[in-house]
Amino acid sequence: MDQLTPDMILVMVMISFAIFLFIVEWIRVDVVAILMMVALPLLHLVTPKEAFMGLSSNAVVSIIAVIIIGAGLDKTGMINKLVKPVLAIAGTSSSRIIIAISCTVAVISSFMQNIGAAALFLPAIQRISKIQKIPLSRLLMPVGFSAILGGTVTLVGCSPLILLNDLLVPFDLKPFGLFDVTPIGLALVASGILCFVFLGKFILPQGDVSENKDDEHAHALESSCEQGTQHPCFYELTTSDDFMDYRDIVRVGDIHLRYLVSILALTEPPDIKTMSPAPHIEIRSGVDLVVWGDKKNVERMAAKEGMLLKKTVEHYDKEFDPAHSGIVEAVVSPRSSFVGRPLGKNNFNDRFRVTPLSIHHQDDVYRAKLDDIILRTGDVISFYGTWKRLEALNQEGGLLFSLPQDLEDTRPEKALWAGGWLVLALTMVMGFHVHLSVALMTGALGMIITKVLSIDEAYQSVDWRTIFLLAGLIPLGIATQKTGTAAWIAAFILHIIGDVQPIVLLIVIGILSTLFTLVISNVGATVLLVPLVVNIALVTHTDPRLAALVVGLATSNSFILPTHQVNALYMGPGRYRTIDFIKAGSVISALFLVVMITMIYLFY
Amino acid sequence: MAIITISRGSFSLGKAVAEGVAERLGYDIISRDLLLKASGRFHVPQETLEKAIHDAPGVFERYSYTKLVYLAYLRATLTEMVADGNIVYHGLAGHILLSLLPHVLKVRITAKLESRVARKMQDGFSEQMARARIIEDDAHRKKWTRKIYHADPNDSSLYDMVISIDKLSKEDAVDFICQCASRKAFEWTHDRIRQVKDLSFACGLKASLIASFFDVKITCEYGNLLVYAGEKVAHSAKFKRTINTFQKENSGIHNLEVHTGVPVPANAV
Repeated sequence: MDQLTPDMILVMVMISFAIFLFIVEWIRVDVVAILMMVALPLLHLVTPKEAFMGLSSNAVVSIIAVIIIGAGLDKTGMINKLVKPVLAIAGTSSSRIIIAISCTVAVISSFMQNIGAAALFLPAIQRISKIQKIPLSRLLMPVGFSAILGGTVTLVGCSPLILLNDLLVPFDLKPFGLFDVTPIGLALVASGILCFVFLGKFILPQGDVSENKDDEHAHALESSCEQGTQHPCFYELTTSDDFMDYRDIVRVGDIHLRYLVSILALTEPPDIKTMSPAPHIEIRSGVDLVVWGDKKNVERMAAKEGMLLKKTVEHYDKEFDPAHSGIVEAVVSPRSSFVGRPLGKNNFNDRFRVTPLSIHHQDDVYRAKLDDIILRTGDVISFYGTWKRLEALNQEGGLLFSLPQDLEDTRPEKALWAGGWLVLALTMVMGFHVHLSVALMTGALGMIITKVLSIDEAYQSVDWRTIFLLAGLIPLGIATQKTGTAAWIAAFILHIIGDVQPIVLLIVIGILSTLFTLVISNVGATVLLVPLVVNIALVTHTDPRLAALVVGLATSNSFILPTHQVNALYMGPGRYRTIDFIKAGSVISALFLVVMITMIYLFY
Repeated sequence: MAIITISRGSFSLGKAVAEGVAERLGYDIISRDLLLKASGRFHVPQETLEKAIHDAPGVFERYSYTKLVYLAYLRATLTEMVADGNIVYHGLAGHILLSLLPHVLKVRITAKLESRVARKMQDGFSEQMARARIIEDDAHRKKWTRKIYHADPNDSSLYDMVISIDKLSKEDAVDFICQCASRKAFEWTHDRIRQVKDLSFACGLKASLIASFFDVKITCEYGNLLVYAGEKVAHSAKFKRTINTFQKENSGIHNLEVHTGVPVPANAV
């Protein structure tokens, strides 16, 4: 074994420091990556060129292209259109629901970011849970795990696999093709889903189904509002001519406080129609207003405040036409800046002119004192607003929701173009062996040229956190390799474990990668482990590409703790405890390792 | 139609003043009836309730919370009893039990220790004994208020009016209080009736829950009850059953929500 050099020690200190920061999360993971990008050249562990090489790496370009292609497909409404037919196929049995939604999520996830695929189905699954009286905790975890497993179906399904080929370059190893991992990925998805279908009873928390109020909520958001029902609906009222004569000033916020009724539109003098009026706006005499709330509360308000409740929305019929405005359910995403802040502090009403109507937290629906409610990952906020305003809110980020496909700024007429460019990119990779990044960027560029999405929309769709996380950690991998640290650690590990069979080594690598990905990001784990395992494999005469592939796949084996973004997103709504993840995640993780190693052993 | 609470030390003529005010204004007077009613409603002996409201918690009682449970029962009963207004309450801790109602006229009657001792001696006590008893009683009340409400009963800012009965007569005190009660600040308006009713709902639900779910906090505005509870409590079957029963039994409650993980507002009971 070689002597430890000062540079090796320094690299190990930097790796330990990065891992420490990943675990304690004092600063965000992407900032840790940028810190490495800057610190490594300052410490002369990599050259300045190597430090920023990650930004021009094929992995980063590929992931940018994948995100743009995903956004393009989303823009055409193709992905949203999948939701309804899938729910229809799913029917009422929990097994069928799990299979239908999980398969769809896995397919979407194989070409899109996992979190996007998971968020897409969250509101729908919540509604199914209420309507079919199936505990949410029985449905969400299988779907969430499938979203993660779906990322292993293609080489562009998740960041570690995208990164893999770049990490093989210093070793002059043959890169993997787009669908080289597909057999393993499909086997992993199938085994995961089947495991939940057959063992779900034992490994999933049983949970309970919440009652009445939530069903009403689900119904109200699902169906068009029919007056005369007891569900929250839109109602138009007129204040009396002497409304202001014999009472203290009544403001928009007062009405919500008193009756839990939200005022969505209000006429202000002389005759200005204000949509989503702010809470401090005064309600005048003889004006029309449109509210959203339970019928009994609206009737109580009309009686107490001397308002005339109309049979239909008349004065505001144009504004409340579903073509113009409506209600959406927005999921608070992990890493959202809204998490941990009270809803009121986010000033949705002032900034976007949309009205928060309720918050769906786990099985509960909150309508009172919404401003005080601290938002948590996975909370679902129902907003009313014009589609234009809701689109502005959507672009702000941090909330995951889809606008109605025919009303959103979607371009269904571009669906063929989008699909065509995706197929072309895939054909270039498979048929003509064009490099992944070039092929995918061609597809992304094609979407922009054919106006599936504009160049600005393409820029906006890119998640820069992911880009910098990837680009920032690549120099750490280079430093580990260049200074001989990876070789030294590999030799040290071999010194301890002695000679092992290749299959045993792959199992050990799989377990090691799984453990790493539970505590640090999957990208970080891949960057650190690939140089290491390739070195070990070379010494032990194991195929180094397979060793690297095991790392690339096993860093998606993140089920035991709710650290993966998808698990974090579903933890709140499913009311899961860490122990639930440990219980179900342990089984799925063990199955993952068995299936992955078996598939590699049999087919590679 | 005001609500008047009269707080006093023992033998400070507080009871006589309260009776004078009630007679002059034609109001009902509440004192020991509170204990009687609370005892019947919550099935706790009167003596136990009296002890809870009179004696300061001991070293170990701090951890048993029993006094706070009984106090919640008393508060629920009192807020219900004052719901119609026209009330003079001169029992213990009225200013604290009704502290969340801004329009309650809170009066403190004080007297010099010498005159109080002299009145106590009329019951056949020696001067030394009378003095010791009054000092002990004052100390108990001070300790009680401090431990439970972190306030000093002699702090004049807790009251709207503090009357020393030594130079002024009992009749003077009654005059002042009656005049004050007719001020706008203590008028009985629709909004104030609603506030009393809201507090009564919040205290009622708190009393229903406190024995099993001590940490639950409750607010009520315009008949909309908001319960602040931990995740575990909020999803327990017993908790859900209790709040549903309470809602069914009280027709004035329009909405009831349970919020978890939210900072509890200062006006929660």
